[in-house]
Amino acid sequence: MTSDNLILKVEGITKSFGAQRPALSDVSFELHSGEVLCLVGENGAGKSTLIKILSGAETPDFGTILLNSKETHGLTPRDAIASGVATIYQDVELIDSLSVADNIFLGSEMQSAYGLGVDRLAQEKESKRYLDLLHIDIRPSVLVESLSAAQKQNLQIVKALHQDARILIMDEPTSSLGFEETRSLMSLVGELRSRGMAIIYISHYLEEIFEIGDTILILKDGERVGLYPRLAVDVDFVIHSMVGRDASLFFQRESVPVGDVRVIVKEMTWDEVVKKVSFEVRAGEVFGIGGLVGSGRSELVGLIYGMYKRSSGEVIIDGRKIPRGNPSSAIQSGIRLITEDRKKYAMFGQRSVAENITITHNELTGGALLNKKQEAVLTTTLIDQLHIAVASHAQSIESLSGGNQQKAIIARWMLDDADLYIFDEPTKGVDIGAKEEIYKVIVELARRGKCILMVSSDMPELLSMSDRIGVMRAGEMVKILVKDQSVDEHLLIKEFVGS
Amino acid sequence: MGTRMNKYTSSILRNQWFLLLIVIAVISVTTGSINPRFYNINNLVNILEQISVLGVIASGATILIISGNFDISVGASIGLSACVMAMLMKAGVPPGVAVVAGIGVALLCALFVGVNSIVFKAPSFIISLASIGVFKGIALFMTQATLQTIYGEFEAIGLTRFFGVVPLIFLISLAVFLIIGFLLGYSKLGRRVYAIGSNERAAFLAGIAINRNKLVFFAINGLLVGIAATMLLSRIGAAQPSTGAGIELLAIGAVVVGGTPMTGGRGRILGTFFGVLLMGVISNSLNMLQVSPYFQDVTFGLLIIFSVAVSALSRKSS
Repeated sequence: MTSDNLILKVEGITKSFGAQRPALSDVSFELHSGEVLCLVGENGAGKSTLIKILSGAETPDFGTILLNSKETHGLTPRDAIASGVATIYQDVELIDSLSVADNIFLGSEMQSAYGLGVDRLAQEKESKRYLDLLHIDIRPSVLVESLSAAQKQNLQIVKALHQDARILIMDEPTSSLGFEETRSLMSLVGELRSRGMAIIYISHYLEEIFEIGDTILILKDGERVGLYPRLAVDVDFVIHSMVGRDASLFFQRESVPVGDVRVIVKEMTWDEVVKKVSFEVRAGEVFGIGGLVGSGRSELVGLIYGMYKRSSGEVIIDGRKIPRGNPSSAIQSGIRLITEDRKKYAMFGQRSVAENITITHNELTGGALLNKKQEAVLTTTLIDQLHIAVASHAQSIESLSGGNQQKAIIARWMLDDADLYIFDEPTKGVDIGAKEEIYKVIVELARRGKCILMVSSDMPELLSMSDRIGVMRAGEMVKILVKDQSVDEHLLIKEFVGS
Repeated sequence: MGTRMNKYTSSILRNQWFLLLIVIAVISVTTGSINPRFYNINNLVNILEQISVLGVIASGATILIISGNFDISVGASIGLSACVMAMLMKAGVPPGVAVVAGIGVALLCALFVGVNSIVFKAPSFIISLASIGVFKGIALFMTQATLQTIYGEFEAIGLTRFFGVVPLIFLISLAVFLIIGFLLGYSKLGRRVYAIGSNERAAFLAGIAINRNKLVFFAINGLLVGIAATMLLSRIGAAQPSTGAGIELLAIGAVVVGGTPMTGGRGRILGTFFGVLLMGVISNSLNMLQVSPYFQDVTFGLLIIFSVAVSALSRKSS
């Protein structure tokens, strides 16, 4: 890299919120056009703060930012956009009720002749040019609400390109994408790099980082551990630097004896979404469910839990037929579901950690009044057991880090004994430390003879945790793989895609 | 030391009721220094009497708003319920029976709103907006738009004062606040109010029966509307279809002023209590200061906007 394509230079950035140790202290790095810089670190390492500073949402206490050879001490969001910094957030910021082209041109609409309104045709033509340039297959005239999560993300990138962005910040762009979509995002990032875009890429998935990164910036506790060329380091080194100890992407799960069949799912069907899926789970067994997004994985477990109404099929636990019902009756029948999207499906954001943990326990126990003393005891027990980092029971759950939120939600389902535990993407958006603790919870449940269903898009997770893996493709369970030496990521991907 | 102090003050500031208490004190002292009659015991009792009905309505609105629902038809259902009671009493039905029938009518009105909003998966705000016309129309048809007077027949509730000073209706209102406060803070039903208001989908998946519980929230509100209608009827001794009209907006205003966000999931009855008290004190102060009564509406409107602004700003800073 020569210094003339230097696009961003950050020097000695420090930012604190309150009295404790700063969220960022004395962080410096350089970014060049055509470079993919991967930012890694555990939750709370300061990644988000750094992004906020670069996108103008926060102003640093000390330090300088040299952007397009202009030096400043802090940016406003307007400065950042004007200087060509575009941030693609996890929660997509698009307007659903407008077309793809309208979204791209939002705020800079093309006027038709004589200034009479917006020239839709010209906008769509221009949008198509951008979309083709990046090989994105979306029609400019469709409404954004009809797009998938991945398409929306691509659209955000196109929008940034249209706004002449020169630095693209991508925050966990693949966390809600399936395997195929992640692949195409990776190639899109490559395409952008070859066009000279500078990219700051944040992800928990180290495989992605080693695939597309040019340089890796590691943060730990708000400090820079180092900035390395990707070729100079390996996964173990990065993990070690992030967490300060050795850990493996592959959790070394201890094996638990597997007993008799306890759960039987027979010909589970829901219209065209899930078709005649049958399998059995034994006591102490972790039955993994893999497949591409849209293959019917989450819908299958949702059906077992009564989240959706099944068209036909049976669930039998220990010889008991589970009636077709709703989540409430599934819970009564000993089924637990830790949902995929905790913010949307599990968290009561403004409510306290204690309330979030005890909510279902209160539904399961009799009586009209709360037993606050017992609630406090149960909450303390679970906070200790799952090592949830909280300031107090009364703290709102949304103020916790992602990993602690997820552990608090898991705690909700550990209060009362059950038979079948379903984990849908149990470690999505969770840092490595919390990941391991969640795995330990799953193994502990297996040890106690519970049946576990685990849906996961994380291949190492699926491979290391499951005893068997059911492969879903187009609503059917096409194969059940017994895990042995021969099952690896390549085999799984082949089965998912069906080639 | 410094940070501890900060923590302490900031936790007080976060409790909107404490701010309200200060505002109430400031307004009272200011009014009292201009017009000493403000401190007259009769005036103070008068304030308590005036806020009693609003207090009962606002308690019900607190439950609904925290749970993410609205019922803006309560004014119309007070009118219908009060008319039914008054007409029955005029027809010689014993007051006790008439009151039970009137409360029953208010309960049915609330269930009408609740059931329609649940069955048609429509926002209760819209359903209750439409219901205003239904309830008002029925009341107009029944009464043929005439005033139903029962002067002297049903005054006991409205006029009783213990020890000559404490109005019975204020005690009823206070009891309602305490009961709703207890429900919200110490019962499983209360937990469900917060959970459903905070994230309905998550509540469903956590095993809470959403529809049944929502219906219970509406029913509680209906019961309180019936009680409020009884108190109002006894106080004024007459009913017409427009009796109670507009109180829903004051009640929602008091809830919002008390710190419960319109988006639900959060809020406390203590805030509503002080919100109601503030409205009563402001209204009385404006009278005492001989401000045109038309300005009361302006003041309440601005007060609600102001308190929404305060909570928006405090959210931004946190």
